[in-house]
Amino acid sequence: MNSKLTPRLLIIGLILIWAIWAIWPTIRYQGLSDAEKESMREEGTIEQIESRTIKQGLDLKGGMYIVLEVDLPTLMETLAINKDNRFNQSITSIRDQLTRTPEADFFTLFSSASNDNNLKLSRYYYDFGSSNEDILTALGEESEDAINRVLEILQNRVDQFGVAEPTIQKQGSQRIIVELAGVQDSERARSLLESTALLEFFLVKDVNTTNEILVKIDQALKGDETIADVIESASVEEVEETKESNDQTVSVSELFGETEELGASSDSAVVDEDMFAERPFSSMLRNLGQAIGIPEKNVYAVKKILERPEVREKLAAVGGTFMFSHKVEEYPLVDGTIEKMYSLYLLEDEAELTGGVVEEAKANLGPQGSTSAGQPIVNLTMNSDGARKWSIVTGSNVGRQIAIVLDKKVHMAPNIREKISGGGTLIEGFANINEAKDIAIVLRAGALPAPVDIIEERVVGPSLGADSIRRGTQSVLIGLGLVLIFMLIYYKVSGLIADFALIWNIVLVLAVLASLQATLTLPGIAGLILTVGMSIDSNVIIFERIREELRKGKTPRSAVDGGYDRALTAIIDANVTTLIAALVLWQFGTGPVRGFATVLFWGILISMFTAIFVTRTIFNLFTNRKNLSKLSI
Amino acid sequence: MRIIQETNIDFIRQRKVSFILSAFVILAGIISLVINGGPKLSIDFKGGTLVSVQYTEAMDVTTVRTAMGNVNIDGQSFDFSREEIKHFGGPSAILIRVPHIEGAPQNFAQKIVDHLYSAFPEKVPESKTDFILGKGTVSPKIGSELSGKAVMAIISALGLILLYISIRFEFRFALGAIAALVHDVLITLGLFSLLGYEISLPIIAAFLTIVGYSLNDTIVIFDRIRENAKASKREAYHGVVNRSINDSLSRTVVTSLTTFLVIFILWLFGGEVIHNFALAMIIGVIVGTYSSIYIASPIVVQLHENAAK
Repeated sequence: MNSKLTPRLLIIGLILIWAIWAIWPTIRYQGLSDAEKESMREEGTIEQIESRTIKQGLDLKGGMYIVLEVDLPTLMETLAINKDNRFNQSITSIRDQLTRTPEADFFTLFSSASNDNNLKLSRYYYDFGSSNEDILTALGEESEDAINRVLEILQNRVDQFGVAEPTIQKQGSQRIIVELAGVQDSERARSLLESTALLEFFLVKDVNTTNEILVKIDQALKGDETIADVIESASVEEVEETKESNDQTVSVSELFGETEELGASSDSAVVDEDMFAERPFSSMLRNLGQAIGIPEKNVYAVKKILERPEVREKLAAVGGTFMFSHKVEEYPLVDGTIEKMYSLYLLEDEAELTGGVVEEAKANLGPQGSTSAGQPIVNLTMNSDGARKWSIVTGSNVGRQIAIVLDKKVHMAPNIREKISGGGTLIEGFANINEAKDIAIVLRAGALPAPVDIIEERVVGPSLGADSIRRGTQSVLIGLGLVLIFMLIYYKVSGLIADFALIWNIVLVLAVLASLQATLTLPGIAGLILTVGMSIDSNVIIFERIREELRKGKTPRSAVDGGYDRALTAIIDANVTTLIAALVLWQFGTGPVRGFATVLFWGILISMFTAIFVTRTIFNLFTNRKNLSKLSI
Repeated sequence: MRIIQETNIDFIRQRKVSFILSAFVILAGIISLVINGGPKLSIDFKGGTLVSVQYTEAMDVTTVRTAMGNVNIDGQSFDFSREEIKHFGGPSAILIRVPHIEGAPQNFAQKIVDHLYSAFPEKVPESKTDFILGKGTVSPKIGSELSGKAVMAIISALGLILLYISIRFEFRFALGAIAALVHDVLITLGLFSLLGYEISLPIIAAFLTIVGYSLNDTIVIFDRIRENAKASKREAYHGVVNRSINDSLSRTVVTSLTTFLVIFILWLFGGEVIHNFALAMIIGVIVGTYSSIYIASPIVVQLHENAAK
């Protein structure tokens, strides 16, 4: 009598076995302690399990999510040769347009800008083709290639950083998404990713040239009312402080006087009004011996001044460029207080050597007896080409200062004592050994072909993640328990069948997620709840229909058949419409919304299957018994 | 056990009352939206920075506000005291939201965290990792793309649903269903605006859940109307629809009750992160159930009667 049902039962059984097989690694993984995980990691067996578990999203587990965007305008500038004013203006206008309309495509803008400004692209990119169209296509490919290299380099850096299960993927044509689950030190991870790792060696201009340029800048700015605004916008306090320090002026000659002790003249408070009128720029600077000191509070104002066209003109005339030190240092003042200052260096505007020549980079502590004893340092080894150039540069500039610059920030500017021929050198000036290690990592992995901007960053602290997963799981379980009990009371034995269907649904959805290697996020849990709701609803629709049929006086068997038949169209139509919504969401959504849509999609498919196929088979097992006279519903 | 016995309530006759009631609630929401200058969008859509931190003791928001009055970041001084600063979950956790600032310094969010950490040295945990509950910075670039995508998603979803229901039922059913959906979303959006809650990505997911749920409810009733209309062609349409709603009332109540139960528990115990999400769903379940009975079906009747005239 059950022969008709046997194939159905077989299908149900097989699916159940598959579901348990698919979900087993997740259960096993959850049960492992950290120590067990660690020992399995060493044995190399954990990957088999990890690759088949449902991952927890960053919102549940804590961690870091970063979206990086490759800076295309800068990449195009780097690729171009013979850059002239017209070219630079076009790029600047494209940048402005991109800020205003972020969705715009760079190459479309570039194309229209070159048409509007009559730019002959072959002038700047003759390697890439002859007509503007050809060049734009070739540049498009070049940018594609650049982002792939960025991806590879970031992958490399993250691998060396040592995070479990990092996810690094490309999104669209110029973005990269990095997800680092469970990462504790988000600041460190951020700087590791963001660094372009462009290492350059610049000669520092001599003191006289520096002094002259300071005087010229002062003259150019003198009497310019807008300067006061710049300084005011930087900090309100400074102006008040200046009133008390009229007699403690710093002259330019003092700034760079040979006999000045370090910090001796930096006792005047940040800006002096009298001096400010005469020498607006120098008034914000301090003498640090070989470098110019910029009190932390003045940094913003100084940067603004250095960006002004009349100042850039003066700098271009002497072929120099100003760069800041990469970190702030504390200098004791005469009155015993401590002032935090950055250093500013005037460098030649062409680098003598770049990081491409670095073969090996290692973080270390400085050797005993050297100036950097006990300090974190990075040892560099150069390839033969680099070593040759390095020996020429050092040999012909003995006595001069050379600045070691990473990502446009000066790490150190030692004096060249003698010619260095081995190609080895070291960088110092790190806050701690971790920073030195990270710099070594980025130098080894190589420089990015173009700078990247962080356009989205989300960090979920480990405590919030743990809390939300605990409370979320708990409340879902409580809710689920209540629903199970309700169904049991309301529909008795049939309620039990519905409960079975519900649990089966959840197990199957989780099994599908595990085999898709999907990530479960909070919205995903919401999707699961909606699935539970839909699954219960299907059963309620069927049960109410069966009850109606029974009230009409039908036998249990025909009531079940009638109930299912009549409920079918409602279930299908309701589920298909929701399915459409889920598909559209999946198509347009990103991140969390997509996670929601994935769960919803599979949840609805499975709950339809369960309601129409699985519970029906179970009901038929009951009703096929000939003597069944009453249905428990 | 049965909660709902066989009923014979005239839902359709009351449609003027329900239309006025809904119009009133929607209008209140719209007025609130207009006053507040649109829905309060989270940094997901607008861009900006959101920081939440955990102190070891209860904090006074006003004190934190004062401390945020002058924050120096890389030589640039900021006044955050007028930004949104509030408790997050408990009295010892603080959340700060700062809109996007053009040309903001590097690592802006972390600098705000640093300031919050050093401003109250005696009330912070030893490790900064335990201090940070969460931080996020979104550039408006991402936000505007997201808004565009969300609008696209909603329009295409509605279009496809309209098409599907037109094929499976009739066009006026599709109009009734869509009207109910728009009704539900407008009311939830309005209530969120009245309560001063912000619309974030997860809330959008909740809205979509509401749409899915309400649609499900509506279609189950429509299915019954379709069936009953076929069976009794002579009966007045108004009566058929009414009977269909009554027939499926038991199912509507049971389903809404169970779903409500799960979401209510989630709202009660689910924790801060999921709280507003669950609230949107609670509003949605109530409004969705109401609208499938009092909005979607009456509109179908109305359209039918208009066509008959």
